Amino acid sequence: MQTDTANPTEERTTLERMMPWALGALLVVGLAGLGTACGLGWDSDDGGKHLLHCYLVNYCFFLSISLGALFFVALQHATRAGWSVTLRRLAEVLAANVPLLALLFLPILVPVLLNVPALKQWLFSNLDQAVGPDHWLYVACDRLANVHLFPWTDSEVVAGDELLRHKAPYLNPAFFAIRAVFYFAVWWLLARFFLRRSLAQDLSGDPHLTVRMERLSPVALLLFAVTVTFASFDWLMSLEPAWFSTIFGVYYFSGAAIGFLATIILLAMLLQATGRLNRSITVEHYHDLGKLLFGFVVFWGYIAFSQYMLIWYANIPEETTWFLARQSGSWKWVSVILLFGHLLIPFFGLLSRGVKRRKILLGSWALWMLAAHWLDLYWLVMPSLGAEAVPPGPIDLACFVGLGGVYLAGVVWTAGNRSLVPLADPRLRESLAFENT
Amino acid sequence: MTSEPTTPPNNTAAPQRVAGILAEFDSADALKAAAAGIRDEGFTRWDVHSPFPVHGIERAMGMRPTVLPWLVLGAGTTGGLLALLMQWYLNATSYPLPLRGYPHIISGKPLFSLPANIPVTFEVIVLFSALAAFGGALVLNRLPQFSHPTFFADRFQRVTTDGFFISIEAADPKFDEATTRALLESLEPTAVEVCRRPAEGGGLPKSIPWGLAVFVSLALLPPLLIAWYRAAPKRSPRIHIIQDMDFQPKYQTQAASPLFADRRTMRSAVPGTVAEGGLEEDDHFFRGKVGQQWVETFPGRVAVSETLMQRGRERFDVYCAPCHGLSGDGRGMISVRALKREEPLWVPPAALAKDSVRQQPVGQIFNTITHGVGTMPAYAPQIPTEDRWAIVLYVLALQRSRHAELDDVPEDIRPQLR
Repeated sequence: MQTDTANPTEERTTLERMMPWALGALLVVGLAGLGTACGLGWDSDDGGKHLLHCYLVNYCFFLSISLGALFFVALQHATRAGWSVTLRRLAEVLAANVPLLALLFLPILVPVLLNVPALKQWLFSNLDQAVGPDHWLYVACDRLANVHLFPWTDSEVVAGDELLRHKAPYLNPAFFAIRAVFYFAVWWLLARFFLRRSLAQDLSGDPHLTVRMERLSPVALLLFAVTVTFASFDWLMSLEPAWFSTIFGVYYFSGAAIGFLATIILLAMLLQATGRLNRSITVEHYHDLGKLLFGFVVFWGYIAFSQYMLIWYANIPEETTWFLARQSGSWKWVSVILLFGHLLIPFFGLLSRGVKRRKILLGSWALWMLAAHWLDLYWLVMPSLGAEAVPPGPIDLACFVGLGGVYLAGVVWTAGNRSLVPLADPRLRESLAFENT
Repeated sequence: MTSEPTTPPNNTAAPQRVAGILAEFDSADALKAAAAGIRDEGFTRWDVHSPFPVHGIERAMGMRPTVLPWLVLGAGTTGGLLALLMQWYLNATSYPLPLRGYPHIISGKPLFSLPANIPVTFEVIVLFSALAAFGGALVLNRLPQFSHPTFFADRFQRVTTDGFFISIEAADPKFDEATTRALLESLEPTAVEVCRRPAEGGGLPKSIPWGLAVFVSLALLPPLLIAWYRAAPKRSPRIHIIQDMDFQPKYQTQAASPLFADRRTMRSAVPGTVAEGGLEEDDHFFRGKVGQQWVETFPGRVAVSETLMQRGRERFDVYCAPCHGLSGDGRGMISVRALKREEPLWVPPAALAKDSVRQQPVGQIFNTITHGVGTMPAYAPQIPTEDRWAIVLYVLALQRSRHAELDDVPEDIRPQLR
């Protein structure tokens, strides 16, 4: 409110009246989706294993958007970018959604934690005494402990597999949980740092805050690289614990960047459709976001092929199995769809300048890339469930809608009534006047 | 219209030609506005000059989108297709042409397999695209350009500090000194100057074409020399450009030596001397024969035991099984693959249980392992003597297993036999 007089964008930059009902609607949709997913998958014969896989796919999808946003904010500060200032607050808000993501990680973390030997023994003996083995709480805990989304959480499997025994010092439930806490702590601290400084600048207009953010950004990028690499190792690669690929973290990161860029393009268009940010975000900003999206489409292809090429060429059995599973049966067709849908078709689709400068076309490609990124994660996770590709069904849809609703509700909550443009950033005028040559 | 063209003071005698007109403006915004004023006049050879990039100037100038991206796309596509064609031709075909492909299987992969070709294809796409972008940008910008009308105006030097200029070349078909000047003056410039080049000179310095000609002629010499040396017959040895320590002052095997009476470089041992550990007196153990006869028994130094049998089995599986097969039937994996590929020179290894081998005394089997036979190489350098006897023992066991009687099977296993 107090910034209205000094608002260089001369337009409404807050959610205001839209906020409460958007928050409510998204939360209702999200919780309903999650409830439906639980109802569909919890009581199945596999003990909820399919449900948890679907949940992991969609969780990693929405997580990647926030991680991409964190990377984007740090990158803009590290390069002292002027063009992107009007977009940066949106990215800051997306990145600051980490605490909610940490909460949403619990369905993945709890089954792992229940396999920490000391905890398991203590819990089940106490439960046995308190309520007995027929009580619903005991049954639920027992089911969670035995779902084994990650095969290495099953002590019997580990005992029978020499390779897993050797990997146990790293791949064990307790250390997994400690690492997860560390990742979320790092992401939360970084996201909070950037959002708080940026909001403080809205009020004070102090340019030194920008300098401080620029100083920290290289450290942030370094921490980001390490945590994202190991988080993707832990949460995606260890689904098949015998397999390993050192480039896997970069692979997930490249998808995260695509997920974020597509999201911010669509988010900006959505806000503009409600009459906000129409002067702040111009066709020039969309053009640059389109260039970045195109760049990361190529980058993803480069990384994906680098991973494939080395493993295919070396032809070492313990490495090729992972690709063999994705190259045989119906997974083969998913791989082909990814090759065309995630790389070749959008490459030519996003190549032209005209496409990047037309909102309807750029928005369509952003939507396309979000779908391709989701399929990429589906392709990473689901083959560990079985050899035949399962076409995404109601559970997947329910998980997607549920997590998406809750995630976006978190974004709306974080945005609150704050300005969605950093109004006092020293480079704001440069960004408003930005033109591509 | 009314202002007279200013003539440079000290050049009254020399005749001059008008090269173009330069107008100066005091800010980037003024420059942009002025460019918009000239845009629709139909000039083709005009330009704006500023100390820093001015956003939006290309729209003010009415510049059409460049064709360069299409050139790059075309060149990149051509490069990618050419690279694929090259790899297919070189790796997967062998047409009898002067430059012939060489199909060679690597790690059992297909002769033409796309994943292996992607890196080369990618690099060639990048190479062609980069060359097209570089060369295309030069040509489209009419570069290299050795002279420009603005070079003849002193005030133009300020373009690198604080000057904003518009220049219109006299070479433009629509150029007319009076009207063009009037047009520029109507755009509120801070100054207008007619650029005049001297009638004489001002073109390319003579040294440049001459220097280029000399350089090209000299550059042609090495390839000409190489071509001549390759084509003309010569008696003298070829020039050995890269020495690689090919010629060293030392005696090679079988070379003549001036030092010794027998002129042999390789000296034989002094009669009666034996190298350390080289006294292999025990014919039975080291050669498998006593006198001229193959021995029928194992030497006394080798204790026939279960341990020796296990050792023989292990060494057999390492050294012999690849060709002779794990059961000694002659169908090891190397032989199977060679037969499958119909290798013309392949001689299948012997089945060790066939009669001609079974009838051999142990000494002869030992000798075969030691020195090889037919295409089988000698294994003495790889397998110690004791281990060779262990293998002989295991070979005997394999032979026996192929001709076993019911009595050879232990009582408790007999019911399992079919």
